[in-house]
Amino acid sequence: MTTTTIVKAPSTSAPPAPAAAAAPAGGVATGAKIRVHALRYNPQEPGSVPHMQTYELEQTEGMTLFIALSEIRETLDPTLQFDFVCRAGICGSCAMMVNGRPTLACRTLTRDVGPDITLAPLPVFELIGDLSVNTGRWMRGTSERLEAWLHGDPQARDICRIEEPMEPELAEKLNELDRCVECGCCVAACGTARMRPDFVGAVGMAKIARFRLDPRDKRTDDDYYELVGTDDGVFGCMSLLACHDVCPKDLPLQTQIAFLRRKMAGKGWA
Amino acid sequence: MASTSPTIAGAGLAERPRRSRVPARLDLLQSATGLVLALFMWGHMFFVSTILVSKDFMWTVTKMFEGYFIFGRPYPGIVSVIVFGILVLFVAHAFLAVRKLPISFRQWQMYRGHMKVMKHEDTTLWWVQAVTGFMLFFLVTVHLYQMLMHPGLIGPYESADRVWTGRWWPLYLVMLFAVELHGGIGLYRLAVKWGWFERGDADATRATLKKAKWVLTVFFLVLGLATLAAYMKIGYEHADRAGERYVPASVQPGAVQ
Amino acid sequence: MKVVYTDVLVIGGGLAGLRLAIAARRRGHDALILSLVPPKRSHSKAAQGGMQASLGNVIKGQGDNEDVHFEDTVRGSDWGADQEVVRMFVNTAPKAVRELAAWGVPWSRVRKGDRQVVINGQKVTITERDEAHGLVAQRDFGGTKKWRTCYVSDCTGHAMLQAVGDQAIAAAIPVHERTEALALIHDGGRCYGAVVRDLVTGTLSAYLAKATAITTGGAGRLYRVTTNAVICEGIGHAIALETGVAALGNMEAVQFHPTGIFPAGILVTEGCRGDGGLLKDADGHRFMPDYEPEKKELASRDVVSRRMEEHIAKGKGVKSRFGDHLWLDITLLGEQHIRHNLREVYEICHYFMGVDPVKDMIPVRPAQHYTMGGVRTKPSGESPTLKGLFSAGEAACWDMHGFNRLGGNSVAETVVAGMIVGEYVADFCDRAENDVNIPTGVVREFLEREQAKLDRLAQGGGSEDAAKLKARMQEIMTAKVGIFRRGKDLEEAVDELQELLVRSRSIGLRSRAPGPNPELVTAYRTQKMLRLALTVAYGALTRTESRGAHFREDHPRRDDAQWLKRTLATWKSDADTLPTLDYEPLDIRRMELPPGWRGYGAKDYTDHPDTAARQAEVDALKEKHADRFARQRALMPYDHLLPQRLKGRNERIDERFPAAPGGAGDTPESAFAWESE
Repeated sequence: MTTTTIVKAPSTSAPPAPAAAAAPAGGVATGAKIRVHALRYNPQEPGSVPHMQTYELEQTEGMTLFIALSEIRETLDPTLQFDFVCRAGICGSCAMMVNGRPTLACRTLTRDVGPDITLAPLPVFELIGDLSVNTGRWMRGTSERLEAWLHGDPQARDICRIEEPMEPELAEKLNELDRCVECGCCVAACGTARMRPDFVGAVGMAKIARFRLDPRDKRTDDDYYELVGTDDGVFGCMSLLACHDVCPKDLPLQTQIAFLRRKMAGKGWA
Repeated sequence: MASTSPTIAGAGLAERPRRSRVPARLDLLQSATGLVLALFMWGHMFFVSTILVSKDFMWTVTKMFEGYFIFGRPYPGIVSVIVFGILVLFVAHAFLAVRKLPISFRQWQMYRGHMKVMKHEDTTLWWVQAVTGFMLFFLVTVHLYQMLMHPGLIGPYESADRVWTGRWWPLYLVMLFAVELHGGIGLYRLAVKWGWFERGDADATRATLKKAKWVLTVFFLVLGLATLAAYMKIGYEHADRAGERYVPASVQPGAVQ
Repeated sequence: MKVVYTDVLVIGGGLAGLRLAIAARRRGHDALILSLVPPKRSHSKAAQGGMQASLGNVIKGQGDNEDVHFEDTVRGSDWGADQEVVRMFVNTAPKAVRELAAWGVPWSRVRKGDRQVVINGQKVTITERDEAHGLVAQRDFGGTKKWRTCYVSDCTGHAMLQAVGDQAIAAAIPVHERTEALALIHDGGRCYGAVVRDLVTGTLSAYLAKATAITTGGAGRLYRVTTNAVICEGIGHAIALETGVAALGNMEAVQFHPTGIFPAGILVTEGCRGDGGLLKDADGHRFMPDYEPEKKELASRDVVSRRMEEHIAKGKGVKSRFGDHLWLDITLLGEQHIRHNLREVYEICHYFMGVDPVKDMIPVRPAQHYTMGGVRTKPSGESPTLKGLFSAGEAACWDMHGFNRLGGNSVAETVVAGMIVGEYVADFCDRAENDVNIPTGVVREFLEREQAKLDRLAQGGGSEDAAKLKARMQEIMTAKVGIFRRGKDLEEAVDELQELLVRSRSIGLRSRAPGPNPELVTAYRTQKMLRLALTVAYGALTRTESRGAHFREDHPRRDDAQWLKRTLATWKSDADTLPTLDYEPLDIRRMELPPGWRGYGAKDYTDHPDTAARQAEVDALKEKHADRFARQRALMPYDHLLPQRLKGRNERIDERFPAAPGGAGDTPESAFAWESE
């Protein structure tokens, strides 16, 4: 963090509308200025060193970090890297550290976190550049390691026939656990994951808890123990619960990890 | 197959060598030893704080542990046995818990940095727990060794002389804070770690637990400070007669050896 | 020259691409998926409300079957759909739901007994059957006769994507994330793969495959106000168009969703209205019954969107500093329902607007939502003109949606098309004559050509700003190629878009940062998107009728006599500024459901001369056959088009198969269990 540069928006009365933001033309300025301090680093560029860069822009009505960053890229700095996909808080692409805490940038209103907003990429994950990290590769690796897919009955059902019934409450409970968007906030917030890169993180444990609850998955606790019964798995969790507190989807991570811990610890003498 | 192909489902789970069950046992033992030690610590605090009631009461409690009221005479060796048990638990707990501590500068730096930017209470509390735990390695060991070797030197004057004339009070003062913080946070963490007391709303339960934790910590700190002050006062007043054993008025001289 | 070989190259990692790859993989072919983003972040995820499949489990779905689903879909399409494809689709959709159930999708389930629902603004108690308890539930959606939309709360696409994505991982299908196909490699009418840019390092490589599938979803970002994710820029469409060989079908057919949150354009599901939500105006008046007395809020999306804009034009919109909007009122559904069945809606309102939909109304206005058009394919999913190129899902014009898609049919199409086209792709790869035998010189030429284009952008010293051109294009599309279209506006749009296209040839970059270079990405995508925008606008200008979502104020009638045909656009040369349009007539004499009134919307249309004769023929055949299966076969046989694995009837509570412990032999004709692999 050696240098800090400041880039200001051109001093026109109405800033140009960021096209990607789909805000109405011009946006309705609120008169307030915000300053976005973003961590800049491009590993692909020889000689690039991590540093903070400050962008100053006019806050518009209902401005989210998605709108602000799009505007920065379109009008101030075309090189700034970040990831947005759904911009509606459902895909999990845009998790970043906003003022020190991981959260989904697309649904963060600038007026709630400004006027000085510090943005940094999620830790733990491989950095692609600036605010963009490779959560996808990490998540795929975790899924492969934990075999996080439904291990159904090898005797497959005939899909022409009526489906297997399931209690409505159970279906709702499964959906509750299935709402994870793999954004990586829980991992970035986890002190254990910061110290130990091999730790599965809450996302991994929540996946196992989800399949364990699903009667369609034919695995037993012995099978699950093989996947998470280690100090890099559920026994590595130090119950800091930052995962639970930052989860943008409000998953019951505390309850699920405790549940999994009880079941797996129970295998110690079983 | 319509649903899942057998080449995919349950891929080879049965063929793999089974994972060791030791981590599960270690995890349980870490929690169990911590729980016992924390509960012991609370009990211990109540016993030593009996000095706040009266010297006689404290003497009575001490003698009770030495088996005086069962055997008709004190056997300080009993205390040594209890102390030894606690020492074993303590060493086991330290051994188990040390697996979680940062073991390199990189890990230490990572956690510190993380804690500072996150400003997340439970994350910071863990750091407090780790630091106090580390301190307790040394403080508790010294204390337990003393108790193991001199189990008979517990009493209103004996303890007060140790605290004051023996200059143990700085150690006890630091240890008081370390133990209460470490144990209080530890018990809270045990509850959330294993999902105890959780009924429906986990967030509400956790908030209540957190509050209870702080109330208990403050209570025991106040109690501990008052107790330590009492011993220091007695020790200060008894300094010129240091080494003299306490004998309650109700007990004939010579009855106690 | 970096070259990657595989059997099936799938471009696009959403539901259609994943399911297609799984199908090919299970048939023993290597599949490799290219994806702009991790697959579970695809826009498939945004499908909230549900997936149509005629299971008929809920009492309000009783009597539903493939025939009803077929008719709803064809009417919804305003007779633009390929009816054989619709038949293939409706017969496979229940199988898809059941397969997904076995893969772990936590479908919302039926609870037996009484429950209170909101229908037409009234609280009504309905009673679910005991035998339906625990089966997959359905909710009401627009344009359907029965409650047919299977759902997982209001995150159906998410749940489906989790399960299908997980199965792709289980099948060890490699996904090259953060890669983008810039051009298809083709020679002599045969597609061999693609030139691909790595969006982390910025380098190009060639991916060669026996079969190449475009499953890149929609092109909503041609518009400024859209519900689509920012990655839905239609690049998959564009690279097919740029071959000059493959055609795009019906690109002028663009759907506008009635309830985009105003002004951000974020979607709130049709499930809100399906579950009983109402549309209200500035006076708090429920206006839809005034326009559509029969289906009210639940007419098809094109109709509801037009009625909303019409109502706003009458001055009944709510004035806001961003412009006019209307209200979506779901407060009458109650907190319990909203918090559980419309949870995403709740979160979106909460986070983006600070609105609590339990108490407050939601500001909405129609926003671009779906691209009915796409890469024209045969029922097998293969391009009729470019061998080895397949397409499925929103990117394709298969064509099951015609000029308007029904809610709940898109996410259903993704998996169904993935299942069907995946089998055809596997068949294609099975044949030895389809081995890749392209000279490396041709591959090198394609790579060099694409590299040269990028170099020209980066170093050509152009002066045009790509972001500005793109913003202008989006503005034009939203203002002039939107819900209501006029010849004059469309002419202006086409003219200015051509101008933008010419200007886009001299785009210059401010930055030459190595790596992904987001500015370069915007630059080359803008060039492609402008061609696509022109294809939409020019197609809309040329089609002088109104059909489905394509509504011409100057030609308000549907004109079957002139326009019962599919637009096919090709881009013949790089120098062109307009696509070449051809038309493919739809044959009424083979239609199971000849054109007529949709049951909602405008009642006047111009009949095709063949319609009456076919209608008489159809009526006679219906008279003759009492059994619905026999009747259907007589009207329009389609069974031969379904892959062997996907043939077979669908069991329902009211259409039970005989108990069959012995297996397939005991089930009715052609209902069978898939053989074990």
